[in-house]
Amino acid sequence: MPARNHKQWSAKPDLELGEWVDSRIYSDEEIFEEELDKLWKKSWIALCHESELPEPYDFRTGIIAREPVIMVRGPDNKVRAFLNVCPHRGMTIERRPSGSFAPAQPSGNPKHMTCLFHAWQFDMKGNCVDIPRQKEGYQDRLDKSSQGLRALRCEVKYGGFVWVCLDDHTEFNVETWAAGAMDCIKDSLDAEPLELIHYHKAIIDCNYKLWHDTNSEFYHDYMHYHNRITGFNDDYFQRECSAYDNGHVNVGTFTVNYEEYDVAEDRGTLSFPNLPPDNWYMVDMFPGLNFNLRGSVVRMDLMTPLSANQVMIEFRGFGLKSDSPEDRAHRIQHHNSIWGPLGRNLHEDLIGVAGQGTTMTPKSEPRRILHGRHEGAYIHDEIGMRHFYESWGKKMDRLPSDPEQKYKAGKVMGPEMPPAKGLSTFAGKGA
Amino acid sequence: MNVEEQHIKSLVRETIYAAAMFLDDQKWNDWIDQCDESFHYSVVTYSHEVRKDLTYLLMSHKEMHPYFDLLPKHNTDHSPLRRHASIYTVDVSEDGKTAEAVTSFIMTQEMIDGISAPLYSGENRLYLTGKYYDKFKIDGESVKFTERVARVYTRRFDKGTHWVF
Repeated sequence: MPARNHKQWSAKPDLELGEWVDSRIYSDEEIFEEELDKLWKKSWIALCHESELPEPYDFRTGIIAREPVIMVRGPDNKVRAFLNVCPHRGMTIERRPSGSFAPAQPSGNPKHMTCLFHAWQFDMKGNCVDIPRQKEGYQDRLDKSSQGLRALRCEVKYGGFVWVCLDDHTEFNVETWAAGAMDCIKDSLDAEPLELIHYHKAIIDCNYKLWHDTNSEFYHDYMHYHNRITGFNDDYFQRECSAYDNGHVNVGTFTVNYEEYDVAEDRGTLSFPNLPPDNWYMVDMFPGLNFNLRGSVVRMDLMTPLSANQVMIEFRGFGLKSDSPEDRAHRIQHHNSIWGPLGRNLHEDLIGVAGQGTTMTPKSEPRRILHGRHEGAYIHDEIGMRHFYESWGKKMDRLPSDPEQKYKAGKVMGPEMPPAKGLSTFAGKGA
Repeated sequence: MNVEEQHIKSLVRETIYAAAMFLDDQKWNDWIDQCDESFHYSVVTYSHEVRKDLTYLLMSHKEMHPYFDLLPKHNTDHSPLRRHASIYTVDVSEDGKTAEAVTSFIMTQEMIDGISAPLYSGENRLYLTGKYYDKFKIDGESVKFTERVARVYTRRFDKGTHWVF
């Protein structure tokens, strides 16, 4: 067909329900606000890693669905989470991204969280322990014992990630929320303590789901010379995508041939415990978390949706706490060569979603976004996105392909078929 | 300061500014030619977010050619990065065979791709700030980099880049 006119361009694609979505789900502000309430405030989010707050009184701040969150390690070594909000006048209690409450602050005592505005003080369990001139100001009408912080559900799970949920009444703990999706990497993550080795962030003018989509499909490996040259063999095309309850997906492993890339080194000897050498698992957790266990390093992407057309993505890398300095240097090198801010793959991925964001700004003309590849649930099958949007539709009670309509089930699974063969003759392999 | 030391300092300054121009112009081989075989390059930062020194790039001299030779095979944002460098200090060793320099730099990006090319193409954006901590080997009129540590004060890179700082 030649280039299409408006009617042709806007027509439903020749695919089944569930195999495409309407671009308004990536750009509509009303839908975005609803997502914060129905998805982000109901989900378990891994906001940081315990190695970011290694000592008692350390803290780390984050955001879920616009709500400021603070995670603190108490003198009992337990990590707890609270809204980072003073119950007095709504001031942010701690303004820094991380630090320690052990030393005194200009407005407060050591070992306390202190709101600098009026010096209300809280302990590491969130108890309000001091209101200056409480008796004079409130007489017997209000007591500090009733003015604790807003506690949040918090668990340290799967290799030490700190998971927080804003919903007090969620029926899930982290494990039941994960619904088995993390099982493929949990033995590697839990084998011994992990330690953060990398952090940087991006703010991209695109909807958060576009980044999650990118992490959910490998068909875009055509964009990555690194992945084409080190993969695209028979084993690569046998990687299976598996769907789990609550919208999660994982992608099975294969052996990456790092030696095919001129400046890459083999990662076999440093591969994570309980992971075959140079193997690579990926887990996409609904609605916006991604774990990559790739040989010698773990990468975790945390999305913080800022608006319908803007997302902050924080990129973290992890090694083993027991690393020797030499091993640690190699892990950092392995991580950065593909995933650092100058890394070969990450930059390409971010160019991709930034380009999508450009075409899907709020109020722009709706268009069809296709998720209809069926390849037997193997690596280039777009089942990951179809499964995500099935869960999205149920939780939002909206039809992803026509978000003004109520949800109804579409097609997620395609026909069974054998995996494709390696594309050794692919023209771009050595381009 | 004697005349010889002044002369070496002048050579070091010229070398740093020439490197800035080579990097601005993506003349990677010319930059590599300025580096001794013992050269090591790194990009580091202190992250207030995680309270750690982090390394974003580490490269030895022998890795430089393959690194740059592979660039054309990758998809890269077209918006060039350029730097403004101000040399703060140059210290020459007593024997005149080595030197160290500290250079403050900022990098700007000439938007071409931009977020939306028709809208942002043509504008310049601050990309990062940092300091170069350079070490040199001096042999007569020859000044070669033996180490460059680019300490940046930026942890937010948005789309990122394939081009070194």
